[in-house]
Parts: sequence; structure tokens; C-alpha cells
Amino acid sequence: MYQINKLYVRPELKLSDLLLENPNLLLMMEHFSLNSIVQEMSVDQFCCKNNLRTGVFIAIANLYNGFQNTGKDLFTEKDIEVIIGFLSNCHRYYKQEKYPEIKSLIAQLYQTNTTAEVKLVEQFFNDYFEEVLEHLSYEESIAFPYFRNLLQSKSEALTESHFSVLEYGDHHSDIESTLSDLKNLILKHIPIQTDFVVRRKLLLSLCELEFDLKIHQSIEELILMPLIAKLEKKPNRE
Amino acid sequence: MNKHKIHIAIIEPSSLVYEGISNILLKSGMYIQIFRIDSVSELSHYSKSESFDFVLINPMCIQNKIREFATLRKCFPDVCWVGLVYNFYEPQLLSNFNFLIQITDNTDTILDAFHRQIHLQEDGQSMEHEQLSEREVDVLRLITQGLSNKEIADKLNISIHTVISHRKNISQKTGIKSQSGLTIYAISNKIISLEDFAGV
Repeated sequence: MYQINKLYVRPELKLSDLLLENPNLLLMMEHFSLNSIVQEMSVDQFCCKNNLRTGVFIAIANLYNGFQNTGKDLFTEKDIEVIIGFLSNCHRYYKQEKYPEIKSLIAQLYQTNTTAEVKLVEQFFNDYFEEVLEHLSYEESIAFPYFRNLLQSKSEALTESHFSVLEYGDHHSDIESTLSDLKNLILKHIPIQTDFVVRRKLLLSLCELEFDLKIHQSIEELILMPLIAKLEKKPNRE
Repeated sequence: MNKHKIHIAIIEPSSLVYEGISNILLKSGMYIQIFRIDSVSELSHYSKSESFDFVLINPMCIQNKIREFATLRKCFPDVCWVGLVYNFYEPQLLSNFNFLIQITDNTDTILDAFHRQIHLQEDGQSMEHEQLSEREVDVLRLITQGLSNKEIADKLNISIHTVISHRKNISQKTGIKSQSGLTIYAISNKIISLEDFAGV
């Protein structure tokens, strides 16, 4: 399936062209811990140089460009570690960059628009982020270790873990709709008299967070979970 | 994220025809997103992840797969199926579609057909931009007090179903789903006062 507004990422395309067309891909590279100058390299060359399987890079880059990868066997269990690393870096970005940024923007808005509504928005966002943090820490302390154990075929993975695929999915549902509530409130309903620049920055920042969370979720649901399900079924495990 | 964005999937083997129809639709001013899909079976993969408003199909792609197509229609109950016709097909095959686009149709005819369909769909729901009705405001007030659907139903002497339907309309009109979000909405719009809220 392909959409027509962004380039479909291919191995031979020049990475810098792709980045100029969709700068969000630079964030994706950060999530992959690929922090180097891209020079004139193609996607394939860049991945080889950085020891990343090109297929993984392409599938996720295409998610960022709005294409859902359709192939079922694009990934193997060898990719699991890389994907977990990617997701962990996403977590760091949410916690250490996005959260403080949005919090400080709301605080700025409150300074010039000191109303109860803005205060409530702050509360609303804090409650929301609390929920996000809970989900992230669930992944870090239960889900990821479980996946890693599974990879090393440790039998205790199954017996001792509190992980459940169902619960993993449940966590996602509310996160998205709350962000959308927040955007609607800020845009349509909260009486703001001055400082529309801060409001714009706040809205953009929320959209960035939403966009990345959405991709984070797609990676978990479309790529990671099917891989884990396959691992769990593997017969030769003790 | 964008609930009013119209998602259109196109299953059309000819790139020329695909690019042509995409261009007409993209330039129409409708708020749309287009997906190109290679086959009917590929479309079925998306039944859980994507919701399409329109699926445009060259009838050739379903000609020998009527059964598969019927199953697909069940997976996507709310989709409007559009045939992209530039050959002769049996009327029976064409009866699978909600409406047809002929290769000889001009831009206006094509867009009119889409607009008609979109209006039909919107009439079924309550339109956006509308103010909340008095009853919806009553329900909203009780929601902000943290009452459950059952409690709201009892208080207003209406059925739970009616409460749920009011809630749905409120969320559609305001763009807000959560209780705390709706509370902020109600305060911003002076439906409840801050004191009411603090008293809860």
C-alpha cells in the first residue's frame, strides 16, 4: 500500500534527500542511535556502515513517511534486539525531551493567561503523562525483559513473567484519545487572550508527540508482537 | 487522529488510471488521503488497522473473486464501494458497487458522485459545528460531576442507550472524549462554573 504525498523509501535513495523531504526521519535515526553525518550516502550504504539491517531501517522509515509495510516476513527474530533498542530510545525521547518541553510551554501559557482553564489543562496533561509513564515503565520492566528472555530461550520467561499480550495492547487505547482531547481544548475552547505563539508551539509539540507515539505503537503492534508470537510458538524451546 | 479526513483506497492495475483519478480527487478540495492497494486480498489485511470511506476498484480485480469480495464487504461494512469502469462488464458484476465511475466521465460528474455520497453519510450523523442541544448540556453537566451512564440515565429519566448516544454526539461535536477534557470544555464554555467543579 502506498500513499502519494511522501517518498517511498528504497535502499538506493539518497538519505539526505529523504531527510530533507521528511525531517522527522532524523528523529527516527536518533531512535536507532544513528547519530552521524549522512554525507552523500544512500540508505543502503548508510545502514551497512552503521551495521543496521537495511530492511529494518526501510520498513520503519516508511512508517514515518506514512506507508504501512505489508509484508509479513520482513523481520526475523534477529531484529528483535534492534527494535527493542529503538523503542527504548523512543521512551527516552518522550520522558526527557517531550514531556519537559510540553510542561514548560503550558507553564509559559499560564504566565500570560492566568486562568483556571489553563491550570486545568496543566493538570489534565500531568494526569495524562502519568498514564503514559505507567505504560512505558510496564514495557521497560516487564515486556522488554520478557522478550529478551524469550530470545535467549529461557524457560522461566514463560512461567515467571507477568507479561500478557492482551494487557500490552490495552495500554494503548486511551493514550491516543486523550492527546486529541488536549489538542481540541487548546485550539477551540480554552480562552487565550495573548501569547498565541506559545499556543502554536504547544500544539506543534503535542502533534510531534502524538505522531511519534503513533509510530511507536505501530512498531509494537505490527512488527514486534507478531515476532514475539512466533517466538512463543517455537517448538524447540525448553 | 483526523476523524473527518476521508480515506480512499484505490485498487487499479493501470498506473495511468490510478494517477489520473488520484489527481482529480486530490485537487477537489476534499480533505482526503489516498492509498494504493494492489489486490483485493491485500485490502483484507487492513480490515483491522484502517478504516476506509471509499474503495475504488477496477471490476476486473473482483471478476473471478466474487466470493472473496463478498467476505471483504462484510469486513468493511461502512465502506462505499466504487467501480472504476472502462470495459464492458456484466451488469450483475457491476451491481456489487454503490456507484460507478466511467472512464468517459468528466471531473464534475465524478466529484458530484463523491459529494452526494459524503452528504448522505453526514446526514445520518449529527453535523459538526453544531451547538450542543439542551439535553446534551444536561448530560454533559452530569458527566462533569463524574456520574456513570447508569446514574445519568436514572437522574434524567432516560435509558442508558440514550445517554450513550448523547455522549457520542457530545464527543463528536466538541472533539473531546474524556471526562476531564469535557470538564475543561464545560468550564471554558461557561456551562458549569469553576465553583461547581471545585465542589465535586
